[in-house]
Amino acid sequence: MRYLPELQSTNGHHGRRPAQFEVGVGYAPAHHGELLQGVFDDGTGRLRRALVTLPHPQRGSRAVFYPSQSHWGVVGTPELVKVRRAAILALREFCTHPAPAKGGQIEITSDIPRGIGMGSSTSDVTATIRAVADYHGVSLSREEVGRLAVLAECASDSIMIDDRVVLFAHRDGLVLETLGHRLPPMVVVGCDTEPGARVDTLGLRPADYDDREAGVFQVLRAALRRAVATDDVALLGRVATASARINQRYLPKPNLELLLDLCLRNGGCGIQVAHSGTVAGLIFDARRPGVEEGVRRCLSGIEEMGLVLTARIGTEPASADRQAAGVAGVAAVAAVAGAKAPAG
Amino acid sequence: MSIRTGFEEATEAYQAPKLVRLGPNLYGACFTLMKMIPARFILRKAERDGKLESGTVIVETTSGTFGLALAMQAVHMDRRLVLVSDPVIDERLYRRLADLGAVVERVPAGAAATVGGYQAARLERLEQIRAGHASSFCPEQYSNPDNPRSYATVAELLLECLGQVDCLVGPVGSGGSMCGTVTYLRSVLPECRAIGVDTHSSVLFGHADGPRELRGMGMSLMPANLDHRLFDSVHWCTASAAYAATRQLHQRHALFMGPSSGAAYLVARWWAAGNPGALTVVMMPDEGYRYQDTVYNDEWLMAHGHLVGPPPAEPVPVDDPTRPAGPWTAYDWARRSYDQVMAAGSTRVP
Repeated sequence: MRYLPELQSTNGHHGRRPAQFEVGVGYAPAHHGELLQGVFDDGTGRLRRALVTLPHPQRGSRAVFYPSQSHWGVVGTPELVKVRRAAILALREFCTHPAPAKGGQIEITSDIPRGIGMGSSTSDVTATIRAVADYHGVSLSREEVGRLAVLAECASDSIMIDDRVVLFAHRDGLVLETLGHRLPPMVVVGCDTEPGARVDTLGLRPADYDDREAGVFQVLRAALRRAVATDDVALLGRVATASARINQRYLPKPNLELLLDLCLRNGGCGIQVAHSGTVAGLIFDARRPGVEEGVRRCLSGIEEMGLVLTARIGTEPASADRQAAGVAGVAAVAAVAGAKAPAG
Repeated sequence: MSIRTGFEEATEAYQAPKLVRLGPNLYGACFTLMKMIPARFILRKAERDGKLESGTVIVETTSGTFGLALAMQAVHMDRRLVLVSDPVIDERLYRRLADLGAVVERVPAGAAATVGGYQAARLERLEQIRAGHASSFCPEQYSNPDNPRSYATVAELLLECLGQVDCLVGPVGSGGSMCGTVTYLRSVLPECRAIGVDTHSSVLFGHADGPRELRGMGMSLMPANLDHRLFDSVHWCTASAAYAATRQLHQRHALFMGPSSGAAYLVARWWAAGNPGALTVVMMPDEGYRYQDTVYNDEWLMAHGHLVGPPPAEPVPVDDPTRPAGPWTAYDWARRSYDQVMAAGSTRVP
């Protein structure tokens, strides 16, 4: 399933006008944590940390790249350090381009909540890389964007690989396996399990999974492969639940079992979490009769628990007008150093 | 989403089971050599962890297929292997092990009369051998947690191929295959049932130790890798019942397996028929070649009193797991520990 149309420069005149009059535009969706995260064999016998992202196409970040041929300084808001790094890395990629930008400024517009595991920084970074590529009139492959995003922020979800379901080594920027073309039809009701808490993903210690857990991940990977191939939301829900429970040892969600119970009592299939965040999502099979009633009951159950709703994700394609209308929300500006500046 | 490729080495090919449908809701996981899974996993892990230096001798006590699996993997790794076996080791297996370069030591025949039988004598000899080598590694299939852990690969296959497993049936020896597979299955399918199949005069689930004819299942010593709390029920089969079921498996399904597979098939077939809505998988640990002169030979069966007609249609339920009662019995173990079950048994009024 494709969530987004190909991103185009807003002026629609690729490479026609002199570069200094152009800007580059990029967009990237949010996610709502993961369906599975752990350590997995990369095919050579080596275990790599990897994850399967649950995309959240109704929210996202838009980046606009304003190039400069003279600007060398680095100014901008400190929280956009990853964005600056991404822009620098992307500029380096295009330094052999006929008319490369030396530096520039990135403007981010985003409606993704920060610090709760919905991929705000990966989305900013991905949108930035796409904006710089767009300015240069270059189309980077999804895998290449993924590699640059990981270089820029050390670990990154796989929202840039939006044409299939992948097991993504989020610290290596590698696709370990394509599980299928799209997720089965489902509805996910998301909430913030710890309203007010913020997770610093860079400061988070990586989970030290033991041998037994490594075996469980091997099994969960196979089960998810089947769930995606056969559109089996029930099995997908079991996999996500197992992954969420293992993660309780590393970054516990206070109400996980209560939320799971709420979900299963109302005809749901399981619970997924942001393994480095605070959001959790109750998973429903969209084809199941009475799913709307179950979702409604869970929405009020979540509110009764005093938790904050974060998303209602369907696997229907995202509304295309949303992107066309632009995303409202947090705006920030970062100035970017020249392409020759060292990447942090 | 990926293409099929060849196996890297023979042991990789040997460890993969074939999943074969035996009924509307029954599949067999048919292994050429199931013990290859823990043998390969343990030795490769030891090598990765730096426990196998170039001069390290691998030593293990076994008379059966685990030794064969180790010997095959030792060929790939170019390591010396010493196996301590019963005096009664099968001559063809002995020759095959020798051809693979393994040294086979047999304990004296008199050891059977001592406490713990041959198994205790083998462990004693093993320690003597280890003391004589500067560097040795023992896979310890009965206590090494990597034995059950290695079976994640089976749970992986079952989940990818079937998605749902409501009941897993299999013979129990070291505890590795059943405990490992069902633990990993339950990480996704917590309600999956586990039915262990044991044989008379095996101490695993409460019988008193004694001579056992049926090979490949049952034990004289309690292995640390057996986690009793995983089992919903336990069945005991005699050699005769297991042999007859092994032949039926061959005659009806063209599956040429060993007698521990036959015993498990007997139980799984009965359970699957009584639970048509549940998907059942039965573990079948090895093939029939080693038993061609015995289980697959009617004259031998006749001479040893095993040609007694078809196996029973159903088990006799027992309230006391310590008492054998006929050729096929079943006990509701209910995921309790060994001590819990034995304590409950002792308080029951006869």
